Amino acid sequence: MRAIAGIVVRELLRFLRQRGRLVSSLARPFVWLVFAGAGFATVFSGAGAIDYRRYLAPGLLGMVVMFGSLLAALSTVTDREAGVLRMMLVAPIRRSTLALGKTLGATLLGTTQAVVVGALLLSLLRLWPGPAGLLLGCAAIVLSGLALGALGLVLAATMRSIENFAGVMNFVVFPMLFLSGALYPVRRLGPWLRALVHVNPLAYGVDLLKHALLGEWAGTGYGGEMPVALDVAVLAAFAAAGLAIAAALLGREGGVTRTAFRSPA
Amino acid sequence: MTATAIDARGLGKDFGAIRALGGLDLEVRQAEFFGLLGPNGAGKTTTVHLLATLLRPTRGTARVAGYDVVREDLETRRRIGLVFQETTLDRDLTVEQNLSFAARLWNLPGRVAGPRIDELLVQFGLRERRRDPVRALSGGMRRALDIARGLLHEPRVLFLDEPTAGLDPRSRRSLWELIQRLRSASGLTVFLTTHYVEEAEPCDRVAVLDRGSLAALGTPAELKRAAGVSSLEAVFLARTGHPLAASSAA
Ligand SMILES: Nc1ncnc2c1ncn2[C@@H]1O[C@H](COP(=O)(O)OP(=O)(O)OP(=O)(O)O)[C@@H](O)[C@H]1O
Ligand SMILES: [Mg+2]
Repeated sequence: MRAIAGIVVRELLRFLRQRGRLVSSLARPFVWLVFAGAGFATVFSGAGAIDYRRYLAPGLLGMVVMFGSLLAALSTVTDREAGVLRMMLVAPIRRSTLALGKTLGATLLGTTQAVVVGALLLSLLRLWPGPAGLLLGCAAIVLSGLALGALGLVLAATMRSIENFAGVMNFVVFPMLFLSGALYPVRRLGPWLRALVHVNPLAYGVDLLKHALLGEWAGTGYGGEMPVALDVAVLAAFAAAGLAIAAALLGREGGVTRTAFRSPA
Repeated sequence: MTATAIDARGLGKDFGAIRALGGLDLEVRQAEFFGLLGPNGAGKTTTVHLLATLLRPTRGTARVAGYDVVREDLETRRRIGLVFQETTLDRDLTVEQNLSFAARLWNLPGRVAGPRIDELLVQFGLRERRRDPVRALSGGMRRALDIARGLLHEPRVLFLDEPTAGLDPRSRRSLWELIQRLRSASGLTVFLTTHYVEEAEPCDRVAVLDRGSLAALGTPAELKRAAGVSSLEAVFLARTGHPLAASSAA
């Protein structure tokens, strides 16, 4: 218990020290709101049914959680490079405790950012989902944070160095974003892409956020499309599976021996 | 009757086709200041990682502080301190934050950790730097902090893997003095690896490791007498047929 708190506190301290990360993570969704909002609004076929900027709100929050949690969990790669991971592995804690601490730290960072951005966004767009909607929204943010944090940890455990970061952005982060329904409804995508949507945790998080924030538009086809219970179950399953896999991967011998630390000379 | 701190029997490790450690038989007594001397690639780090539960042995068994390193890995880890060959501090955190992070990982309650951290900061000459980020410290100070952190939970056995390697001569000397002061500490067993003979010389007993197997074991005086030579360097040459220094050029 104390070990988990220690890991979470360290994540917070590191985040607060990185002023640039703080500013950019809070500013990013508003930049998207202005530019993507203005651009997509001109081609958005939902015009008349819903203002595109409002449609975008759940997706932007999902994006904040994804960047916050997934990237925080990916920092485990730098922990490995700096040697801090070895020190955690020699502590008298189980690998699963380590994985849980890392995921909770990442979730805390992602959800805090999303709650701050969410409050600003909702008042800016004069979107008032009511107390039940707000509650569901918070639950959606926390569940997405857990699922994406666990996923980030699995990625981190399989990566040799942070040089693969660009690969993660191109092959994981951006596809997840574009196939999540964050920017446009996914129901008109072809069958192949739609299949990918169904294995994308962010899609379930964004869908849950749409249920929470766009309840008013539920009848227009721009609210949540999948059952709330399914969204919740899939996110929880992603989090649990991610944690189990990450714990197993972190416990491998490669987690501490030199091959995992130094690129082959 | 002295208790056994480390008891390795036929302990060995292969990495694929590479035999990093053959089959090590070794007993280290409690409160002993023990040196493992060997050139680069001898298998020193492999030995330490096996004893610290970070590697699974390919063959053999080992008990550390009374616990089996494979079956009772958590219990073993609870009772050992390990200072890795490369520093493992979080360079973005301050000296104090690094220590409190470790205190939580080792499950020390705040009222125990606070005074213990103060004590170690004084002991290792880091009190004035407690609020500085680690990246602002010199190499010698970082190593001192690594060692302080290894001692935080009052381990029964402290492993130091080449603690002074890579430091300039002056920092090496002052760090070595800090390490020497650990001998008097109540009952602490120190297991030190090194490729410097001058660091093996003051050890209670020395094991000479070469290419994954034990070439000699005893007090420095015994080793020199048995080989009929006057320095540990010459002992190494007599027992292995090649000089210690030549292979440590890398
Ligand atoms: N993870 C690994 N994978 C493959 N080979 C390894 C691995 N770790 C160590 N080795 C090999 O095992 C042998 C012993 O290595 P070890 O690191 O234990 O030596 P050492 O005595 O600590 O050397 P140094 O003074 O360089 O630290 C070397 O040949 C090394 O290349
Ligand atoms: Mg070594």
